[in-house]
Amino acid sequence: MAVPSSDKAATTSEAKPEQKDAQQQQKKSAAALEEDDEFEDFPVEDWPAEETEAATTTTGGNGTTKHLWEESWDDDDTSDDFSAQLREELKKVEASKRR
Amino acid sequence: MALSTKFLSSIQGFLKSRNGDALRDWLRVEPPVPQEYHNLSTELKSAYRSTSAIEKLVQSCLPEEDDLPEDQGTSWPGFIVFMKDYLEYWRDVDFDDLLGAHQLLMALTNSCTTALNNPTFGTIMLQTSISLCASLSKLSMTLNKRPDLTKKLKTISTNDEEQSSIVGTTAEVIQKIFTACLTDRSSQRYAKPEGKKIGVYVFANLTLKLLFACRKTHLAKQLFTNISAKSPPLSYYPAAQRVTYLYYLGRFHFINNHFTRASQCLQEAYIQTPPSFQKHRQLILTYLIPCNILLGRLPTQALLQRQEAQTLTPAFMQFAQSIRAGDFLLFHQALEMHEEWLFRKGLLLTFTYRLRPLLWRSLSRRTFIITYVAPTEADSRKAATLELSHLLVTSSYVQKRLEGYLPARPVPKGRQPHINSMFLKAVSNSVGPRTGSSTLAPPPGGPKLLRPNEGLIWGNMPITAEHVEDMVASLCAQGLLHGYMAHSQGRFAIMGAKQAGSAVTAGWPNVTEVLVQAEDVIPGWVRDL
Repeated sequence: MAVPSSDKAATTSEAKPEQKDAQQQQKKSAAALEEDDEFEDFPVEDWPAEETEAATTTTGGNGTTKHLWEESWDDDDTSDDFSAQLREELKKVEASKRR
Repeated sequence: MALSTKFLSSIQGFLKSRNGDALRDWLRVEPPVPQEYHNLSTELKSAYRSTSAIEKLVQSCLPEEDDLPEDQGTSWPGFIVFMKDYLEYWRDVDFDDLLGAHQLLMALTNSCTTALNNPTFGTIMLQTSISLCASLSKLSMTLNKRPDLTKKLKTISTNDEEQSSIVGTTAEVIQKIFTACLTDRSSQRYAKPEGKKIGVYVFANLTLKLLFACRKTHLAKQLFTNISAKSPPLSYYPAAQRVTYLYYLGRFHFINNHFTRASQCLQEAYIQTPPSFQKHRQLILTYLIPCNILLGRLPTQALLQRQEAQTLTPAFMQFAQSIRAGDFLLFHQALEMHEEWLFRKGLLLTFTYRLRPLLWRSLSRRTFIITYVAPTEADSRKAATLELSHLLVTSSYVQKRLEGYLPARPVPKGRQPHINSMFLKAVSNSVGPRTGSSTLAPPPGGPKLLRPNEGLIWGNMPITAEHVEDMVASLCAQGLLHGYMAHSQGRFAIMGAKQAGSAVTAGWPNVTEVLVQAEDVIPGWVRDL
């Protein structure tokens, strides 16, 4: 008479002493990490486009998602610390050259 | 009546009524299963030890019938072989021996493929094939994490390692079914898929999941090539299949540094996934955001504040900021702080090396803005230039900061450096002549030893005029700077300042416009005609 395998697995792991406890825990955390990385199967097969952002996106694509991305981000402001430091450095190097 | 006979007569009934769903529900292979399956196994063990006995049983219970009405089905030789293998599977399988179970399941899936390939009746096996392949794939992923078991296999097999690996062979078996679906002729290529064609993306996704989980993504190339060549448009398939497929296709292109393609696939996957699937959206964003950053498209607050972006925001915000400012210090801090996570996600190498041009671009731009003196009336016709010696000063400054050098003067405003400036002065007075030409003071413990990837050029290698010229020339070649090198003058001359309105706009064109390639056809993504 065959035993359902889930039961079997339970008994064999119980039979073993806790020798590999730490090892198992390690395995567990590694498994948890991997699960976190896995693209799971969706619980439903299909859904109407109206439930998605794609529905509100124009045919050219990117219509409503434009606000999610910034393409002109160049920073012309040079009043920050980093720019000030660079200015000082340039000045100092320039001055040392003239000496 | 014996259990095996009862079982087979039910199967015969499903064939007759062409009920593929019921066939799948009955032809189970993966525990937990109802007690009947275990009873069946016991019966087979005691009464059907020999293969020929099982064969006879199957043949007698599943006779091939001729002259059937249109709506009825029957068994066929391929199916009889499959059912024989199925009963043998339940007779022999031992779920404590995973490797053995895997081999049995592989054999069963192979005969399933043969049965499915029958042009007249094969399609009824589609659902069963899907569930068998899902179980096989799951088991292979489990085994992939158990080198202690698969090691045995490797010593037996002398073949090329790729071919003999559990993942490699499983993917091959599933791809056979995928090919059977792809080449089915029930419907035209650009028409609504019928027959086995319905399964194309199910099997593609099963294979991709397996290959990505086991980090053997290079094996996916053939699959994408086949899809490009023969598949019906993706839009005919259910949303879950579309999104899953585009996610993997996007990641595949990302791995191969095709960021424009990757971005389009992932963007489409993202907007087609309803907001209720947070985890899926988060995984898609994990690759879509870096992809777009690499293309000079930075995530806005609106995106970073979304629920699904929460765990991603800290890392990506730092990278975006470092690119904006050309701030290598922040860039390396971000790499260091998130190294483990980036590595696990497969982003570390790409980010370490592929973002540098953008940072150099911003640093050179900033250097230009703070050093450029607009021409007076007299020489207004001269091209605006960036002196490379200035960029050498600013980049050397950044390099030293990376090595731990400290800004000797208190910063004019804003945050106060935590080190006492008197102390710094003392330190800077006590060190060698170099400090005379720099505002920086060497760190008390000596410069930090940098790994090769942690320096601007290569570890602690000091930056030279040649390095800077190389870098600027390379940025020009990539289109990230617009102008030419005036080598003898040691300058980068900007072209088209008048038309662009300003020298800086002309010299440093919009990154996205430069990097995003116009691609109508994305390999692996079949769109409507």
